[in-house]
Amino acid sequence: MQATLEDFFKALRGSDLEISLNAQVDAARAVELVGWRDRTLLKSALGTTLAKTTTDRALYDEAFDRFFRFSSFENMAAQGSPAKPSSKPDANPASDAMAAQDLPDPAQDKQTAPGSGGPGGCQGSGGQALSQLLLSGDSAALAKRMQEAAREVGLTDIWFFTQKGYYTQKIQQAMGLELLDREISDTKRQTLAPERARELERVRKKLFVEVRNFVERKLALYGTAPTRQLHDDFLQSQKLSNIEKRDFARMHVIVSKIAKRLADRHSRRKKKRVRGQLDFRKTLRKNAAYDGVMFETFWRSKVVDRPRVVAICDVSGSVRQYARFLLLFLHSLGEQVSDLRSFAFTNHLVEVSDTFESLPVEQAVDKVMQAVGGSGTDYGQTLLDIEAQLLDDIDRRTTVLILGDARNNRGQAHAEVMQLLYQRARRVIWLNPEPVSFWGLGDSEMKRYAPYCHIARECNSLAHLESTLDALLRTHSASA
Amino acid sequence: MKTLYQHQFDSIDGLAQRLAAVDYIASREIATSVYLGFNLEKPILVEGPAGVGKTELAKGMAEILDVPLIRMQCYEGLDESKALYEWKYGKQLLYTQLLKDKLGEMMQGAVGLAASIERLHAHDDLFFSEHFLEPRPLYQALHQERGCVLLIDEVDKSDPEFEAFLLEVLSDFQVSVPELGTIKAKVKPIVFLTSNNTREMSDALKRRCLHLHIPFPEAKLERRILERRVPGLSATLNRELVAFIQAVRQMDLKKQPSVSETIDWAKTLLLLHAEHLSLDMVKGTLNVFLKFEQDIASASEQLPALLQQARKDAEIPRASHA
Repeated sequence: MQATLEDFFKALRGSDLEISLNAQVDAARAVELVGWRDRTLLKSALGTTLAKTTTDRALYDEAFDRFFRFSSFENMAAQGSPAKPSSKPDANPASDAMAAQDLPDPAQDKQTAPGSGGPGGCQGSGGQALSQLLLSGDSAALAKRMQEAAREVGLTDIWFFTQKGYYTQKIQQAMGLELLDREISDTKRQTLAPERARELERVRKKLFVEVRNFVERKLALYGTAPTRQLHDDFLQSQKLSNIEKRDFARMHVIVSKIAKRLADRHSRRKKKRVRGQLDFRKTLRKNAAYDGVMFETFWRSKVVDRPRVVAICDVSGSVRQYARFLLLFLHSLGEQVSDLRSFAFTNHLVEVSDTFESLPVEQAVDKVMQAVGGSGTDYGQTLLDIEAQLLDDIDRRTTVLILGDARNNRGQAHAEVMQLLYQRARRVIWLNPEPVSFWGLGDSEMKRYAPYCHIARECNSLAHLESTLDALLRTHSASA
Repeated sequence: MKTLYQHQFDSIDGLAQRLAAVDYIASREIATSVYLGFNLEKPILVEGPAGVGKTELAKGMAEILDVPLIRMQCYEGLDESKALYEWKYGKQLLYTQLLKDKLGEMMQGAVGLAASIERLHAHDDLFFSEHFLEPRPLYQALHQERGCVLLIDEVDKSDPEFEAFLLEVLSDFQVSVPELGTIKAKVKPIVFLTSNNTREMSDALKRRCLHLHIPFPEAKLERRILERRVPGLSATLNRELVAFIQAVRQMDLKKQPSVSETIDWAKTLLLLHAEHLSLDMVKGTLNVFLKFEQDIASASEQLPALLQQARKDAEIPRASHA
């Protein structure tokens, strides 16, 4: 029973659900309380312990149906129809898959006795010859043996579709394929019963098809989680400009996950109430009205200080991919950044904060890229725009985050505006997708801008972005 | 600490029946979650649209178990002093003022500062005892002799800091008060947290709770709820009314009518002695279950179609009965 539950947790992980150990323990206790008999009951009991949000719940429901439907299909004899394994009756979903699998189910006992016609007691794995099981069409016993074989060879560890053949073979062997093959060749040699030989070959093929289908389904259940993890790791370290369009959806998920992690990590430190410390000045001032008797007290608390961020992104062809993910990232941080204004530019500055307010983040990014993107970056003009439009709004609490490669097409640099920014803002952070060794080469003005940045660093993968933003949030809460 | 609740529920259906007896019609999903929460001694985080009976569920449980319901409404800026306890500063000051003479008497004969303080120490914690403690909901919940149902309402409205503070309460049912030490629950309260999803709760909180999502009820369940809550409503009107509301929920509205609105509307119609849903009647009472001007406008536009749909939906089961 425990093994089945663990398999289910594995399958859930395949559906992108994170199941904490705590939840697993709860689930096990819940199952103890409600039992395995009632499928809908089991579903809601496991659901209430395992799925922690409404979206999780939808994922869970789907995974549950997939996982337990397959099991019940394999135990079709428990429904009362001793069908051949290849004919696939739509199994009654209310059947308790687990009971047929691990418990001596009375229904199953009844089936096996007349069904097999041979020696009874196929509960154990080595009880009956595979050929007999196949010929008698005892699907319950077959499925049970397949499950046992699968567990024996560790099918839940399957990762890649290339392992399908291997596992199919392994499972067939564990079910007793060798004996079956020997019997087939023996029967053929004797040529006394060609009927029987043909029949045996037929069921052998069927067995193969059954087992392979089984392995395929299990691959779908268990294989997605590790391969996706691999893919995610790859995407995170990959240069952002190399990420293919088809991976964008996945990237969005990763970004929002990381953003949530960052937000979680930094949300707790924002406000520290110093309990028991009287704010004496404030209390005295307030209680002057009561003749100095302190009826109303005021306690010290720290001021909430969340970063005010102005993000200025180059969205020209060469860096737009980076801008896309930076903007995505910043806007996924949500309330951790109290005041976020975003600007995009190629040759002049455009404020895009409104777009992000009115549209979901992913769509907004696309829209901005379309509206502002282009070629012919002009950093000089942009900086002049910043001076004209933005400089007044920047004070000592603002962090200015600039993303760009500083390739100015040989125009005027206007580094003096950078100096003004540097003097006014709390911090100026320049993220450059190019490696440091390229800075200042060709038409790059980075060497002229870098002195006016508190931080200037190379940033071209999600991992870079994460560490930068982590630093952004941390220094703010530390200095609070 | 142990559970002292008189009722131990033998099964999920039994729990659902008991809830029904106090006029709360629970779906099986709800009953399962509550049953598990009760037996695993875990808080239940209830989510769902407004007005589907999240708060009612806690009230129902309190009624079945015959224990008090302690409700804590969360809002932005809620902190420990409003949730757990507060010293009655005013009372403390008043007492020191009133007892000035007594204090003076007590101090008589004490020579020097050290001796005076020594005398005071003999009575030290007098002013920081439970007499001067203003208990707030959480403190009250932990102090109930027979246990209680603790309802932490709209926990999503509270600040993340407060949410972090709740963690200790929810996992160990205890809190630390600097002046008094750790307070443990006498009997573990049954905790319901409700959330309208205005913000995502932290993983730590979610991990400590069972999760229950209450959606709008299906027609069958909603009819049963109406039967219970609005006795005297005719079966035909019940059918039509529920079918109509279900049809309205399919529309794209700013705020969809929930169960509480259905009940209000049923009561209204009962008052008007309605037997069937008629166009004029519905038009006149739309504002009972639709709370936005635009919603009312778009609903009245489609009113004939909606009514027709509702009548059709209401009739199908009757045909199958015959």
